[in-house]
Amino acid sequence: MSTAQTDPPPAKSGTPTWVKVLVPVIATGGLAVTGVVVAILVFVLTAWLNLPLPVFGFDEPPEQPIAFPHTVHAGTDVLMDINGNPRIAPDNSQLTGLGLDCTFCHRTVTTSGTAGVPPVQLCSFCHRVVGSEDRAGLAQLRDITFLEPFVDAINWQRVHRLPDSVRFVHDPHIRFLSNHPAAIGNNDAVTGLASVNPSQVCSTCHGSVATMEKVKQVEPLKMGQCVNCHRDNNAPVDCSTCHF
Amino acid sequence: MVTQQDSPYNWGMVVDIDRCTGCQACVLACQVENNVPLNTENLYKQQRIYSWIRIERYWEGDFPDVKARFIPILCQQCGNAPCEPVCPVYATYHNNEGMNVQIYNRCVGTRYCANGCPYHVRFFNYWEPVWPESLRNQLNPDVTVRSRGVMEKCSFCVHRIRRAERKARGEDRLVMDGEIQSACSQACPTDALVFGNLNDLTSRVSKMSKDDRHYKLLDDKLGTDPNVVYLARVEEKVEEGAAAAHG
Repeated sequence: MSTAQTDPPPAKSGTPTWVKVLVPVIATGGLAVTGVVVAILVFVLTAWLNLPLPVFGFDEPPEQPIAFPHTVHAGTDVLMDINGNPRIAPDNSQLTGLGLDCTFCHRTVTTSGTAGVPPVQLCSFCHRVVGSEDRAGLAQLRDITFLEPFVDAINWQRVHRLPDSVRFVHDPHIRFLSNHPAAIGNNDAVTGLASVNPSQVCSTCHGSVATMEKVKQVEPLKMGQCVNCHRDNNAPVDCSTCHF
Repeated sequence: MVTQQDSPYNWGMVVDIDRCTGCQACVLACQVENNVPLNTENLYKQQRIYSWIRIERYWEGDFPDVKARFIPILCQQCGNAPCEPVCPVYATYHNNEGMNVQIYNRCVGTRYCANGCPYHVRFFNYWEPVWPESLRNQLNPDVTVRSRGVMEKCSFCVHRIRRAERKARGEDRLVMDGEIQSACSQACPTDALVFGNLNDLTSRVSKMSKDDRHYKLLDDKLGTDPNVVYLARVEEKVEEGAAAAHG
């Protein structure tokens, strides 16, 4: 009896082997799961609060069916070729952007809800003559619009998209901001202008499109941004101003 | 809560029952204008049809002397609305232009407001709305297509109001009387539905709402203070208190 009491059976003490194996597995798995969940949460939250993180090409501008460069049409800077060298005109001068007004192509922006993308005919209006000597794409565009009077619209990919529940109308915004340049930091104290050109107010929400080879969204365009600007400029903040 | 600024507008409607023939043109116009889903036979059987404005029909009298009575019922845009305080997320509220507004993207679908509404003019989207392929291009781009799980109701054609207000602001003036017509009042062949600004004392609705025949639906019993004013039917034999009997 006494010997049995002093020697307890050793097999019963300590943790079983299967627990010893399982605990580190569960711990590592748990850490991995937590890591993944945190990564997803961080990504979703940053995307929700601002623009998507610049990883995996999430902030890349959408691919357009035609490589339309705003730098050539709307920009005024010196144009570069694909190798990064300045483009030279036949008379040895440096080529610069045309500096067209936004409203030259987006014609309905000052009068209606949508900015409007021009029909192909507007492109060919210039490009029947201009630029089709050394550019195969433009020559193709010229030939197509020359031969077929009714061409299908180009399937442009939308860059700035608001949720379906929001009704954004361009024309009152452009009207207000053109008449109140100070509201968007276009300092009228310096220029002395009572109003500015419509194209000077577009960059408030769209960024400097004239310097973008491919247009991308640079402002978050979340509701907070809308409401802040509406509050600052004494515009209505009633929900049904935009949501109906 | 929303900051309420003073507004020169108080949108309202006058419904002249005497002119209503029960033709349902307003019902159809509303359905088309506001992207209201199609009411199929199945929806009728389930008593889940959508009809932002409806014509209620009553029979009066016994057989040879029977009379049909019609009354168009739409959201009354109550000043003291029973639907508003019950919403837990402020998806429905009263704005400074006298409208009872439903914000679809805020709605979480508790359906308390529909239970609170004594006029039965709120409709819940139990399913994702579907249209036949042939009708997809007729959807109104100015009106949100409500998805499953949100409440909807007559918006007083708020998109038309906003469009007119934008135009007026651009021309630096107020919206003129008759500049806005809701889809139902535009479609009404007998001009029984009149839409306008009740704050403007010279507007057609203000004048008509002061008519002797005026009454507000259930207002004397519930005190909902609607912005929709009804004008009682003119009977052949005018009885004392005929108008009150409708209320």
